Amino acid sequence: MRETLSAKPRLGALYASAAPRALRRVREVSPDRLPRREAFVEGVRCRPEQLVAYQRLMGDTVRDELPSVLMHGLGFPLALWLLSRPDFPLPLLGLVHLRNEVRHLRPVRPDEVLSVSASAEELRAHHAGTTVTVRTRLFVGEEPVWEGLSLYLAKGVRLAGIEVPPAPRREPLVPPATTARWRLDASTGRRFAAVLGDYNPIHLSALSAKALGLKAPIAHGMYLAGRALAQCAPHGRGYAWEIEFATPVFLPGTVEVNRSSGPGGVVRFSGWNQRSLKPHFAGAVSRL
Amino acid sequence: MASSPSPRRAVIIGGNRLPFARANGAYVGASNQDMLTAALDGLVARFGLQGERLGAVAAGAVLKHSRDFNLSRESVLGTALDPSTPAYDVQMACATGLEAIGSLADKIKLGQIESGIGGGVDTISDAPIALSDGARAGMLALGRARSLKDRMAAVASLRPRDLAPSAPGTNEPRTGLSMGEHQALTTQRWGITREAQDELAAASHRNLAAAYDRGFFDDLLTPYRGLSKDNNLRADSTVDKLAKLKPAFGKHLGDEASMTAGNSTPLTDGASAVLLGSEAFAAEHSLPVLADFVDYELGAVDFVSGEEGLLMAPAYAVPRLLARNGLSLQDFDFYEIHEAFAGTVLSTLKAWEDPEFCSERLGLDAPLGSIDRSKLNVAGSSLAAGHPFAATGGRIVATLAKLLHEKGSGRGLISVCAAGGQGVVAILEAR
Repeated sequence: MRETLSAKPRLGALYASAAPRALRRVREVSPDRLPRREAFVEGVRCRPEQLVAYQRLMGDTVRDELPSVLMHGLGFPLALWLLSRPDFPLPLLGLVHLRNEVRHLRPVRPDEVLSVSASAEELRAHHAGTTVTVRTRLFVGEEPVWEGLSLYLAKGVRLAGIEVPPAPRREPLVPPATTARWRLDASTGRRFAAVLGDYNPIHLSALSAKALGLKAPIAHGMYLAGRALAQCAPHGRGYAWEIEFATPVFLPGTVEVNRSSGPGGVVRFSGWNQRSLKPHFAGAVSRL
Repeated sequence: MASSPSPRRAVIIGGNRLPFARANGAYVGASNQDMLTAALDGLVARFGLQGERLGAVAAGAVLKHSRDFNLSRESVLGTALDPSTPAYDVQMACATGLEAIGSLADKIKLGQIESGIGGGVDTISDAPIALSDGARAGMLALGRARSLKDRMAAVASLRPRDLAPSAPGTNEPRTGLSMGEHQALTTQRWGITREAQDELAAASHRNLAAAYDRGFFDDLLTPYRGLSKDNNLRADSTVDKLAKLKPAFGKHLGDEASMTAGNSTPLTDGASAVLLGSEAFAAEHSLPVLADFVDYELGAVDFVSGEEGLLMAPAYAVPRLLARNGLSLQDFDFYEIHEAFAGTVLSTLKAWEDPEFCSERLGLDAPLGSIDRSKLNVAGSSLAAGHPFAATGGRIVATLAKLLHEKGSGRGLISVCAAGGQGVVAILEAR
């Protein structure tokens, strides 16, 4: 079932609408509870000042090409709208962002008008809860230009009738050489939110993060992905990228980063905390 | 290409610099323009160039105020040179001075100019401090505003955090790592020991002190603001004393951290200038000729991807320069390898000895090999003298030209690494 929205939903309102239900405790969902719904919206544009603000925030060059994480941001309100429907079975607030896989099919100019389609695809059992995959696609006219899968985890929610898979063994991190260091100040989450509108309280301030059970605000996963891609992604052509998140980056904080080139032009990147030797994220970029 | 045909020679006539001063010390209050003017005027006085119109003056600074867009020209206008002497600014991080001198040598060789002064200057003590990007954006918007409403919006866009000024740092913009942190990675990759670095640092102090003692710098320096000697020099520095210092960079390496304030260059203020000319210019003005500026080569490496160390570009540029001039690494009587860090010098030397590096990275059939270490930085280098970024090239060229002239024969190799993964290397030959 396709539901066409007349305008791109606003993220702040979605978080606010989800807040009352954050109190609702979900312990178990049935695997077939996911509504079959595709959300669709037309006429999505990147404002020129938003593009520049994004590029400045990520340390990228101001150029007339939409960065892949910014395109994720343009599609994100629709994905969040899906996750905040009353019949969506998992609680929106507290969803943990686990990974992204994106095919950025061709360079997209800032003046191109986009349509966005989003659907929630699959509930799966995870050792810590239940995951949902959200598929987002961006089009110029009929032409798909960007396709992404985002995996989110609802902690502590069991998938009814499915055995909980064992937790994978995490090998202790042997940090690679540091090729870059990101010093993220306390306002990192607020500055990212100001550009892309993702005012999830866990990113904004010590107080709002504590209210949701975190010891400090954490960096947006997409901020980390954007910083990595600003360094590693090619320009003027299509590419694929993926990122997997391990432990959150608390703000303020310092992230050690490694970037290395592999065979076939694949660039791998990873970030970790040098003190605790905890991995934050790892990913790769390859040309299409 | 076996050799580059050179229509005529570019010769080094002499050099002059200010004693280098540790930052926030003797030269507080002196600007880049003040110091460059002083270095130029000292050179002009030494060679009787008052009122002379030179072909060009090329110089620069790494840390530069926006008002200093014409730093070299403004400095020339403050000297005794003919005001019709043109001047231009060069900026290539720590290789600024050597690039300025090399570009003048090329102009002389091509017959475009007969004479020139190349050099550089830097001050940490008078570094530019800029408005934050937020404050700048707000104030620029205020300047563009045409209505009261726009002006109010521009003012309202300013946030308290925008008021914090932004000072220039030594961090690489693309990696967020300081130069020292970058070198710590390279030092570790090449397995350079703490002892080897401290020995190189001690030798630098010993050699610089000995050079002062024998009056080597008497005609290479102009005293400035009470200094007549580089005040970072510790004539009594020893390996034992250096061994007591705590690591300053690469602390995350734990026991393997080996880079200290003693085997890394300190932040320094200073200026230098080198006079070059055609042989005809030197003869007409009855000026000495210390050395030929034979050739120079630029290099850069991909440090952002982590493929190579930030300061390793000279390791790649030197073999290209040697090949073009039909020389081997051993065909030199002096080696001037800029001591950004002791680890930089030692990593570069080790890379040239390494068969794998020379074959895979440099594409050579055989390693470049070792050098006779008694020919390295024989009159001291940046660890002892200090390193006012853009002024280092001029210090090295003048020092090497004089060393070669004293010896009366032979060649010298210069290697200078720079921020941004760059480097400049050069060959001088005795006259």
